[in-house]
Amino acid sequence: MSAGTNLVVPVVLWGKSAPTHCISCIFLSRDQRTLVTGCHDGQICLWQVDPDTLQMIPRCLLVGHTAPILCLARVSVVSDNNYIVSSSESGEMCTWDLVDGKCREVVKLPYVHTNMQAYHMCGSDDIRLFCNGYYAEVLIMDPFSLEVLFTLSSRMSPDWICALHVLRPAKRKDDVILGLTTTGMVKVWTLQGNESKATEPHYEHESKQIRCLNALSMSCCGGNQRTVVIVCAKYWQIYDAGDFSILCSVQAPRSERWISADFLSTDRVIAWSDEGKGYMYKLPAKKLKGLVFSSVADNKEFHSAATESDTPFLYCVLAVPNDRPMSCPPAMRYHEVSRSGKVQKYLLRGDSDGAVVVWNIPEVTNSQLAQIKQEEFDKPPGMPPTMSTSLTKAWAAMQPSPVGILDQLERGGTPRVPLTASMYLPQQSRLVVGREDGSIIIVPATQTVMLHLLHGNHQQYDDWPPHQRLIGHVGRVNCLLYPHLVHPRYERAHLVSGGVDFAVCLWDLYSGTLLHRFCVHAGEITQLLVPPNNCSTRVQKCICSVASDHSVTLLGLTERKCVVLASRHLFPVVTIKWRPLDDFMIVGCSDGSVYVWQMETGHLDRVLHGISAEEVLYACDENTSTATAGDSGLANPAVHFFRGLRHRNLSAIRHATQRGIHQLQQLSHHNQQDGSLQQKGRAMPLMIQGLRTNPKDPESHILCFDIEALIVELLTEEYGAMSPGSLEAQGLINQSEYEKVFALTQSASPDAGKKIADFFGRVKDKAGDLERSLKEKDRHDLLGRVKDKAGTFERSIKEKDRHGILAKMKEGAETMQTKIQAKAESVGLRASDKSSE
Amino acid sequence: MADIDKDESDSLQVEFEWLLRKEVHAVLAQLQNILQECGRRFPVPLFGTDGPQKQDKFVLTTPPDQLKCIVSVMGDNITQAEITLKVQRQQNVIYRTSIQNDSPWKLQQVQDAGNHLQHALQHIDSVDPDYSFRSSEEVLHLLGDILGCLQRGRTSLIVPRKRTIDDLMKSRNMRSLVPNLPEDLAISFYIQSHKLVLAVYHLSTVHGNLKFDTFQAECSVPWISEVLVLFTVALQLCQQLKDKICVFSQYKDFSATSTNTAAVVW
Repeated sequence: MSAGTNLVVPVVLWGKSAPTHCISCIFLSRDQRTLVTGCHDGQICLWQVDPDTLQMIPRCLLVGHTAPILCLARVSVVSDNNYIVSSSESGEMCTWDLVDGKCREVVKLPYVHTNMQAYHMCGSDDIRLFCNGYYAEVLIMDPFSLEVLFTLSSRMSPDWICALHVLRPAKRKDDVILGLTTTGMVKVWTLQGNESKATEPHYEHESKQIRCLNALSMSCCGGNQRTVVIVCAKYWQIYDAGDFSILCSVQAPRSERWISADFLSTDRVIAWSDEGKGYMYKLPAKKLKGLVFSSVADNKEFHSAATESDTPFLYCVLAVPNDRPMSCPPAMRYHEVSRSGKVQKYLLRGDSDGAVVVWNIPEVTNSQLAQIKQEEFDKPPGMPPTMSTSLTKAWAAMQPSPVGILDQLERGGTPRVPLTASMYLPQQSRLVVGREDGSIIIVPATQTVMLHLLHGNHQQYDDWPPHQRLIGHVGRVNCLLYPHLVHPRYERAHLVSGGVDFAVCLWDLYSGTLLHRFCVHAGEITQLLVPPNNCSTRVQKCICSVASDHSVTLLGLTERKCVVLASRHLFPVVTIKWRPLDDFMIVGCSDGSVYVWQMETGHLDRVLHGISAEEVLYACDENTSTATAGDSGLANPAVHFFRGLRHRNLSAIRHATQRGIHQLQQLSHHNQQDGSLQQKGRAMPLMIQGLRTNPKDPESHILCFDIEALIVELLTEEYGAMSPGSLEAQGLINQSEYEKVFALTQSASPDAGKKIADFFGRVKDKAGDLERSLKEKDRHDLLGRVKDKAGTFERSIKEKDRHGILAKMKEGAETMQTKIQAKAESVGLRASDKSSE
Repeated sequence: MADIDKDESDSLQVEFEWLLRKEVHAVLAQLQNILQECGRRFPVPLFGTDGPQKQDKFVLTTPPDQLKCIVSVMGDNITQAEITLKVQRQQNVIYRTSIQNDSPWKLQQVQDAGNHLQHALQHIDSVDPDYSFRSSEEVLHLLGDILGCLQRGRTSLIVPRKRTIDDLMKSRNMRSLVPNLPEDLAISFYIQSHKLVLAVYHLSTVHGNLKFDTFQAECSVPWISEVLVLFTVALQLCQQLKDKICVFSQYKDFSATSTNTAAVVW
């Protein structure tokens, strides 16, 4: 990436509607200042919480995972520690910094965790993660390095561990791990604290078969470790930890299924169901055993058949009045914390609409309970949540509401049309946006950005900046492509769009006319791609389009017809790779099958499954990695993304996000054989990147201001405006000055060197024609004011610094590279894009 | 013109409701049958049934006598095996080893596939037969979950997990060999598609670099090909339903309750 070392300031224009956030996982930090929600699309939202009132606002969206987040855990015993670990369904694990949203560590394991318990085990300095999931062991991991420290295995009928609880028995120094397999085998491991990989295998010390299949969770009572609650979908049960005999059992309410349960106190249990309700129970005291209940300990009754009074008593239901139907079971978690000597208990819930609900769990004394028991009621007393919010509510509450990039078109009461696709043309400095109503809008990018970020007279103009409107699609525009940007072999004027109306439209960008409409697919167009440059001449003039009917076509832009129609794929198309030398287009589907098509003839060469399919796809990557020099071809976008995060390489992050999002739309970005071409030339002072977390969302936009490119641009203009005389007077064109700058740029990136050489060349030649659409004055204005707006997005760069850099640059350009690098270091770009306050 | 649009939109709405109310349940029932059938082919008891574990005997050979192995498979364990092998460079040395009943070689892939299958069935079970779906998102979510389980289950059989030679050497399964193989030899049993494969890795150092030769013998396991077919049929059925629902989710305003207000967007 050419923009690798540059200081880039991202600003997000979220638009009027909140992103979808179908919560799969929820977590509240110990200090109650941050709530973390993971969603099915792989994003993580950080909410800033008032620790006293629990009012919260969304603060930050962490992008990186490519699959649903399955579990979240803290990393330290310190309560205000600002890190968190997340784990996804594809085996990715990340450690995030909650303050600046940076990803500190990432791994991809072949093990997928369904549950992680953060536990401070003896003999270690801090938290260890005890993980179980789609594998037959228990993994103990370091939350910071994300290394597997050691594993626990089973001797007796090993199987997946579906529930796990780690605890330290009272008055003992060792840790006990209770595990329950899917087939209902309880296992107990005891750890001394000196375990490591070298001392493996660690087998269980005891195991016992109980009648409990496919359990969902298990937890031990903190106050009375002899009782354990085990939750299955249809019932939850209390067991005696001594011999794992069953003490009592509660069926799930009609048409509901239990998700999990926990102990509120020694004789109170809270269980929650997939309908998003919490149920609070009082356990029958005479059934319980252990020190706390020593008066009834070992009484003979406890193995006797349960009578009416022996069953747990439901005394309160936590429910949301008039709850909307949800599209999937909500994520819920019981949270207990002691603040200023008082224990507070909460039940948290995050649902498919991005809504967060908190119940403050009431303390009900035994006498109150007795009263409740006296009363006759059909339904137990219910309790509404103490706090409820959602992304949508937070968006609605914002004044002024979050800016969208085409808001200027919505003045004067015209209904809002959601944006569905966008593309930035850096060469023309134009932004092309497709919308839900089928129109495509082309606007000058800088003016549009000015309109939203800068205050001034221009905001009073009607109908400014001018826009161009392409009408041709019926219904939503799904994707846009400007092939010339990918490779210059394509016509400069050609713009391609794909829509929900099954059509691919070819436009003349300059005249705004519809040149051709390809109607060859039988499903909405989901993706448009460009084949690599070394294909046959006929294919070189084609673009590749993918539709939701699982078909792929090559469409000839000059001959205006479909060259290849590759259909018959049974599953959605996920990747397209190329073997141009063999004339193969390789289509990878979501079920792992691979279809090899001959491009010239349109014949299906072969269909592959399993390992051979993987190998063929992998072989394509090997071919391309030589072409893209150093960049390891097309690994998972997340891998690139994380690499970008670690190196603070925003353009890599941008690129990876783009690819990740394409993958979300069921198609990974096409193979980047032309990657180097796409990135050719100088870095652009402004890049606009569409952002969508879910294919159903309207698009948000990230504006990436490349400060270095901007400074070079400004200097070019400033010197370009000078006469040769004034240049001479300032001593800018004598040889020593040139060499000084040249020497300075030696150590810097080759990119910057090229840019400066380029700029000096221009100064010398007095090439005055700068093709700039913006007046220099406006640009200064922009740079200064960008900050003001960026501030509302909690950017961490001080305005003063930026002006400081600018002034210094103007003096002589000599300290440019060093300054910028220093700043880039100190500023520490954040990868996440904060939502507005 | 407007009437035609209205008619079409009305009939689409009716079709959509039929899809949500009737077709989804019908397909789920069909899926359940297929998956239960699939589960029955597994040699290990699934869904808590205490059926007897099935036993199979296979012979794996590579001509000419380089590798010969007779295995007994009980459930997901190789309970007995007699292995004789010759290494390329020492053709006259014959190595013999065996697996005994008391310390079987576990085929984790079988258990993984079975567990993923059970998860898929649990997702189907979580829908009550009289439940009425309210939105396409709800169904898509459910189908996404089921597809995920089936996909993982099938993949665990057809794409064996790659492991480093070091992991293999240290694996618990390697310790069940009696007598132990020399230190430069490792073997591995795994399943790839419908085949049981025995791979032999022979380590050697050439100019200071560690290299390994590998050769393998395989045999077809009938129950796995049946299971794979059923997995594939279930995946396709599930995907087809998902595609149908997706067609309707293009129309944003559609939901099962808003019978009269539905309008076609395009």
